[in-house]
Amino acid sequence: MNRRTLLAIAGAILLGAGIIRRASAGDVNASPADVQQRLEALELKTKVLERRWEVDQENAAAKSKESSTPSIGKDGYSLKSADGRFQIKFQGDIQADGRFYLNDKAEAFTDTFLLRRVRPTVEVTAYGIFDGRIQPNFGGGAAGVDDAYAELRFFPFAKLRAGRFKAPVGLENLQSSSKITFVERGLPAGLLPAYDQGVQLHGDLWGGAATYALAVQNGALDGTNTDSTDNNDRKDFAARVFLTPFKASASDLLNDLGFGVGAAVGKDRGTTNASTTRLPSYKTEGQNAFFTYKTNIIAWGERRRVSPQLKWYPGPVGLLAEYVLSSQEVKSTTTVSAANLRNRAWQVAVTYVLTGERASYNGVKPRKPFDPKQNTWGALELAVRYSQLDVDRNAFPRFADPAKSSRAARAWTGGLNWYLNPVVKTSVDYAYTWFDRGATTGDRVAERAVFSRIQFSF
Amino acid sequence: MLVKTLKSLLTAVLALSILPASWAGRSVTLLNVSYDPTRELYKEYNGAFAKYWKAKTGDDVTVNQSHGGSGSQARAVIDGLDADVVTLALAYDVDAVAEKAGLLPKDWQKRLPDNSSPYTSTIVFLVRKGNPKNIRDWDDLAKPGVSVVTPNPKTSGGARWNYLAAWGYALRKWNKDEAKAREFVTAIYKNVPVLDSGARGATVTFVERGIGDVAVSWENEAFLAVNQLGKGQFEIVVPSVSILAEPPVAVVDKVVDRRGTRKVAQAYLEYLYSEEGQEIAARNYYRPRLPSVAAKYAVQFPKVDLFTVEEVFGGWQKAQKAHFADGGLFDKIYLPGK
Repeated sequence: MNRRTLLAIAGAILLGAGIIRRASAGDVNASPADVQQRLEALELKTKVLERRWEVDQENAAAKSKESSTPSIGKDGYSLKSADGRFQIKFQGDIQADGRFYLNDKAEAFTDTFLLRRVRPTVEVTAYGIFDGRIQPNFGGGAAGVDDAYAELRFFPFAKLRAGRFKAPVGLENLQSSSKITFVERGLPAGLLPAYDQGVQLHGDLWGGAATYALAVQNGALDGTNTDSTDNNDRKDFAARVFLTPFKASASDLLNDLGFGVGAAVGKDRGTTNASTTRLPSYKTEGQNAFFTYKTNIIAWGERRRVSPQLKWYPGPVGLLAEYVLSSQEVKSTTTVSAANLRNRAWQVAVTYVLTGERASYNGVKPRKPFDPKQNTWGALELAVRYSQLDVDRNAFPRFADPAKSSRAARAWTGGLNWYLNPVVKTSVDYAYTWFDRGATTGDRVAERAVFSRIQFSF
Repeated sequence: MLVKTLKSLLTAVLALSILPASWAGRSVTLLNVSYDPTRELYKEYNGAFAKYWKAKTGDDVTVNQSHGGSGSQARAVIDGLDADVVTLALAYDVDAVAEKAGLLPKDWQKRLPDNSSPYTSTIVFLVRKGNPKNIRDWDDLAKPGVSVVTPNPKTSGGARWNYLAAWGYALRKWNKDEAKAREFVTAIYKNVPVLDSGARGATVTFVERGIGDVAVSWENEAFLAVNQLGKGQFEIVVPSVSILAEPPVAVVDKVVDRRGTRKVAQAYLEYLYSEEGQEIAARNYYRPRLPSVAAKYAVQFPKVDLFTVEEVFGGWQKAQKAHFADGGLFDKIYLPGK
C-alpha cells in the first residue's frame, strides 16, 4: 500500500466519521468531549496505518537486500545475489555468415552459407572472487568448446585461471570473435595459437595501465585450437605484456593507445602419421589452405612466436597493427633434411566510424540504436586492412612443394559494419588475396571473396 | 664531515622508510553483527576497546557495527555476512549460525564465562508519563482498549523474550496451564497494532510515532527512552515477574581464521568482562555480571522476580520449536490489533 493510498483512506475515515455524525439523529447533541475522543481515536488509527506502512517499507527494503536481482538487457540475462557475491550470467552469440567467391569459374572455392559461430555462454561468480566461464561452440555443424575455465581472482594484479582459454599472444586473436572488426581475422592469426588448455597467471597493474599474462599450456599449432588432451609431455610457455600508459588521461586522443608484446615458446615432435605431424597449414581469410608442408615433414624441436602489437582508437578512428614471427624446427622423416623455419606475418587495419561514435577494441556502441520510427539508424563503420604472411624461403622445396604451397599471401580487405544496436551487427567484407607461387604454372589463383555476416551477440 | 653526516642521515631515513609495516602497528577491522538496541552500547564500547588494544599491542582496530532484529542478523551471517563476532539477543540465534552454517562450534557457549553472556537484561513496560492506562502488570496488557507495542518474534530476539516473559507469567498464574497461557498471550497480541522488525523499531513506534499505551521492552531500551530519547515523557513499570534475558556473544571461528583476526576478536569479547567493559554495559543500562560493578549500579536496576528460559520452557531449542518456528504457536495466535 503506498503513502498516498494510506492518507486517502485516513481522510475517508475522517470524512465518513463526520458524515455519520451529522446523519445520526441521536448524535446531534454529542458533547465536545465525545467528539474529541473520536478524533483522537481516528488520529491514532491514522498513526498506526502510517507506521504499518513504514514497517512494511522497511521489511520490503530488508527483503530486497536478501533477494537476488535478475537483470536482462544488452549484456544478456543475469541473476545476482543481493550482496553481489554470487552471480550467474547467460550470454551468447550467433554468427550467420555467407562466403562467396568472385570470378571462380573453375569453382576452386565453394560459395556457402554457414553458421560460423553459435556460442551460448555461461559465466558464474561465487563468493565474489571465484569465476567460471563455459562457452561451447556449435558453429560449422560441429560441437566444440572455446572457453571453459575457472578463475580465482585473488587480487586485480593476480588472477589464476585454469582450463581452456586463448593463448595470451596475439592482439587480434585475443579480441572476442564477436568484437573483431572484420568477418575473419587477418593473416597473422594463422601463425598464432588459439584455444588451448593450461594454467595462466594474469592481472592488471597500475589501475589497468599495464596488463600481463603468464601461461603454461599444452601447445597449439599455428592458427589452431588444441584437442582436449596433449599428445606429448612438452608444454608451451606464453607471456604477454600490454601497456596503455595514457589510460587515465583526460585526452581522448591518447587514453586508448596501447602497445605490447606477446611471446610463446615450446617444443613439439610429430610423427609420420598425417594427423600428428604437429605442423600447421596456413589459410586465407576465406579459410582456404594456401600452404601445407610435405607429408614426410614433421615438427622436431623448438617452436617460438613473438608478436609486437599496437592498437589505437582516437575517437571514431581505429588502428590495429601487429607483427608475428613464428619459428618451428622441422625435419624430414625420409631424408636428413632439418631446419628452423621462420615464418612472418603482419597486418595494419584502419577503421572509421562514419556516424561519429568512438571506435574501440571492444566494438562500436551506437549512440542511437536502429529504430526507423525514431529516425535513428545505429552506427556505421568503414574498415580497411592490409595483411601479409611470408613463409620462410628455406621451406622450399625440401619441406614444402612450391607447386602446391605458396611462399606468401597478401590480402587487402575492405569492410562495412552496421551496428544496429549493441546486440545486432551486420557486416560485409571484400577480401582480395594474391599469392606468390603455389601453382604448377606460377602463382596460385587470387582469391576474391565476399563475406557477409549477421551477428546476434548479447 | 658534513657530507658524511648527511650520508648517515640519508641512510637512516631510507632505512626507516622501508621498515616492515608490522613495526609501525597493524590496522585491523572487525565486524560485530549485533541485535537491534545495542547501538549505543557498542558505540561507546568500541572506542574503549580500540584504546585498550592500541595501548596493549600498538595495533589500530576499527569495529564496524551491523544492527537489526536478532533473528534477521543470524540469518544474514548464515547467508554469508562476514561477521568476526556476533553479539545477538539470544543463544538460539547463535546456535543457528553454528548449526546451519558451521561457522563456529556447537559448544561455543562454553568458551566464555557466564554462558558467553557478559551482561544480562530483562523485560519491563514503558508507559507514557503519568501512566494514563494504569499499567501495573502483565494482566493489564491483555485488557481491551490497551494498545501494546512489541516487535515481531519472527525477526526480533527482544520480541521473543517479550513473548516468553508473558507466557511464563501466565504459566505461573494459572499453575502451568498451557491453554490458559495461550489464551492470555493471544489476548495481548490482539492489542498489538503493528509489529516492528526489531526492538529499536518498536521503541521508535512508541516513543517517536506516539503509537501504543505500553511498550513491552528490553530494560535497557526502556531506560534509554526515559533518560534520553523522550526525557520526561515516559515511565518504566516493572512487572511482578519477568524473564532473565542473557544476550550472548561469540567469535565466528571460520571468519576470523580466514581473515586472521582471531586474536583481536577474542580479546574484543573478553574485554566485555573487564571492569571497563562492565562499566560501559552498566552505563548503557545492561545488568553487569562483575559483582563489583553490579554492586556499584545496583540502585539503577530494580529488583525483579526472574525466571529463565531453561526453567520454564526447557531451553531455547524447545521454545523456538514450539512457539516461533513456522506453524508454531505464534503463527496461530497473532492477529493484527484493531
